[in-house]
Amino acid sequence: MSTDQDKLITELVEKGLTGDMEPINSIEDRVLRSKAKAALAKAKRAAKSQETAEPKKKKSEEKSSDDLPSSVNLNEKIVYMINEKFSGSLANENTETHIQLKSDQWFEIATWLKSEPSLFFDSLQCQTGIDVGDNTLEARYNFHSMKHNHYTEIRIAVPRKEATIPSVEQIWRIADWFERETYDMLGIEFSGHRDLRRILLPDDWEGWPLRKDYLVQETYHGIVVPKMKEGWE
Amino acid sequence: MGVVHGEEMVLNIGPQHPATHGVLRLQVRTDGEVVSEVTPYLGYLHRCFEKHCENVTYEQVIPFTDRCDYLASMTNNFGYVVAMEGLMDIKVNERVEHIRVIMAELQRIASHLLGLGAFGLDIGAFTPFLHMLRDRERILDLFEMTCGARLLYNYMWVGGLSHDLPVGFVESTYRFLDYFEPKIDEFVKLLVHNKIFVERTADVGRLPQDVAISYGVSGPNLRASGQKWDLRKDDPYSIYDRFEFDIPVGEGGKGSVGDCWDRFYVRVLEMKESIKILRQALSSLPKEGDVYQSLPKKIRPPIGSIYKRTESPRGDLGYYIESDGTNIPYRLKMRSPAFTALSVIDEIAAGWLLSDVLAILGSLDIVLGEIDR
Amino acid sequence: MDPDGINELQWSRRNKMGLLENRFNDNVIVEKLDKLLSWGRSTSPWFFQFGTACCAIEMMAAAASRHDLMRIGMIPRSSPRQADVMIVAGTVTMKMALRVKKLYEQMADPKYVVAMGSCATSGGPYWQHGYHVLKGVDIVIPVDVYVPGCPPRPEALIEGLLKLQEQILDERPLTRKMA
Repeated sequence: MSTDQDKLITELVEKGLTGDMEPINSIEDRVLRSKAKAALAKAKRAAKSQETAEPKKKKSEEKSSDDLPSSVNLNEKIVYMINEKFSGSLANENTETHIQLKSDQWFEIATWLKSEPSLFFDSLQCQTGIDVGDNTLEARYNFHSMKHNHYTEIRIAVPRKEATIPSVEQIWRIADWFERETYDMLGIEFSGHRDLRRILLPDDWEGWPLRKDYLVQETYHGIVVPKMKEGWE
Repeated sequence: MGVVHGEEMVLNIGPQHPATHGVLRLQVRTDGEVVSEVTPYLGYLHRCFEKHCENVTYEQVIPFTDRCDYLASMTNNFGYVVAMEGLMDIKVNERVEHIRVIMAELQRIASHLLGLGAFGLDIGAFTPFLHMLRDRERILDLFEMTCGARLLYNYMWVGGLSHDLPVGFVESTYRFLDYFEPKIDEFVKLLVHNKIFVERTADVGRLPQDVAISYGVSGPNLRASGQKWDLRKDDPYSIYDRFEFDIPVGEGGKGSVGDCWDRFYVRVLEMKESIKILRQALSSLPKEGDVYQSLPKKIRPPIGSIYKRTESPRGDLGYYIESDGTNIPYRLKMRSPAFTALSVIDEIAAGWLLSDVLAILGSLDIVLGEIDR
Repeated sequence: MDPDGINELQWSRRNKMGLLENRFNDNVIVEKLDKLLSWGRSTSPWFFQFGTACCAIEMMAAAASRHDLMRIGMIPRSSPRQADVMIVAGTVTMKMALRVKKLYEQMADPKYVVAMGSCATSGGPYWQHGYHVLKGVDIVIPVDVYVPGCPPRPEALIEGLLKLQEQILDERPLTRKMA
């Protein structure tokens, strides 16, 4: 495209953004007119995404101060108490949605979380294992207290090669099966678990399916596993 | 007179068995008839739901969630949709909310009917099973009128629904409710106060309240143990805070609190409460409203994660969704209530007779599709 | 015209008994043993309820009051040794595949298999990323009738079972098979 045409198209796009479509529609050359309209559409989309990005940022800031005061304050309170009692276990200080811990003193912290009267997290709601990439696996725990009706989320990150986290199955009995499932799907080992074996897949299955680099095994006891059967295209 | 002790026998119940609710294997150590240990073995229906969710788009996940708990697919959809709308900040209009509550409560009645019928069948009562299925067919007719499917609906979409209510739906539902309410009393007379049923289920398999909370048991099983906890009232989602209904709690009517009879009776009472909610929702259903109004063009949630729970007929159904900004979920975990309910069976079934183990298993109302995902 | 829909020519061709035809009183039936056996087998096949997943619920609904399976002669049996037809309803996983084979081998001859639903036919909606799902139960056992659907309606299952009954009726169990 020649520079004259470039300049012309930029002028037309500016006019079009303000709402004035006359100059574009009055161009006789069809190719130029369509180029101008395409450039206008692109500019409109860029402007819209900028607009939505800004209000969204504002919205999330407002949200965090108005809509979720209880859980953010609760997270800050828990982090403050953890720093007092178990120093050095926080992995980072960000407490907006969750608390990030290191795996060393997890058993003691968990016992304290359940027994501390102002927190009293007596119910482990959900335990998720997740492969966050970067050679890290994470175990995320969602807690809830029946007495005070408040929630929190705790995340523990471990390296992929030596993924070991202390087990909390003596504290919340449901962690027994949740940890077995996380071990089955991701290969995170829970030290201190009395009976850590696969729960959903057969005992002689190879591999950790929910890791992002999982490759399905070829056959299982002579039955072919991958998705193509002979006769399918 | 002395008791004769033999050797301990290891017996496998399942995986193919008419009384395990699906493919479940229970390895039971017994000394004669008395059971000393029950170990459940799972995984016979592991269909890789979570791996599928990492490879298909957000809209395509909904039929997969249907198939997890196949007896209550409306509430499965509901849970997922509520979690996604929380993640993406979408508000739906009043008509959609009302229709969702109506469908969820109808599904709750249908699921309880089948669960109670199957429980009676395990005990040996064949007739109530047929009665329950006959009434459940009428609910499935209502669903088929709306979305065309009898069992797996794919009905609730993120931001709306797949079909609007057809003409004549509200009248048919009122007719069904008028027909069904006396049937619950008939059922109570037939089975609930039946001497044989009471003797087989009262005082059997008592689940204490603190054990239940530690094992994560929720829903009717927890309410039967005395804890008044219902997500529709204690952590309301959608428009449940507008309706008036009670939470039935187990009181040990025929035995002790938290036994099999309580778990059964709480479900019967819950069906009555669902009818109350249905009547209120139907009368306040707005006539105007487009169910496709808030459907997003592309589902691309912002980066972040959410954990949201809703009340399914079996308990707290939770979805943990982690999104990385694309249109395919990064990780989706479904926290199923039946998984936690089954984990408690070793605690409460040890020490009972072999036939009591099956009564306890039936009273927990599990669905293997949800446990194994 | 015969109310069953078979016309005169077909009827007479089917039932030719040659020298013995129409030689006895009305209360004596003359028929080939082959056909008698297959007629007996086809009209009361007892099914082995092997329901794994969602299709099992539709199988239960088919056996319940609205669509009654008992009127076509099928009773649910829980033990493979007492059953003729195995209806594989639902997804079969790798862990379960070995047990399916064992159960099939425990059934006594003559035995038939109906693959109900798309999971049992070819893996169903889990065909693409299901590492633990068997892509069709015909990898481990031979199947006679496939009933598609997800889940198939009870009427569809009944149609599949009636087709199975027609198949059994056409068998000739005593005739020596040509090599």
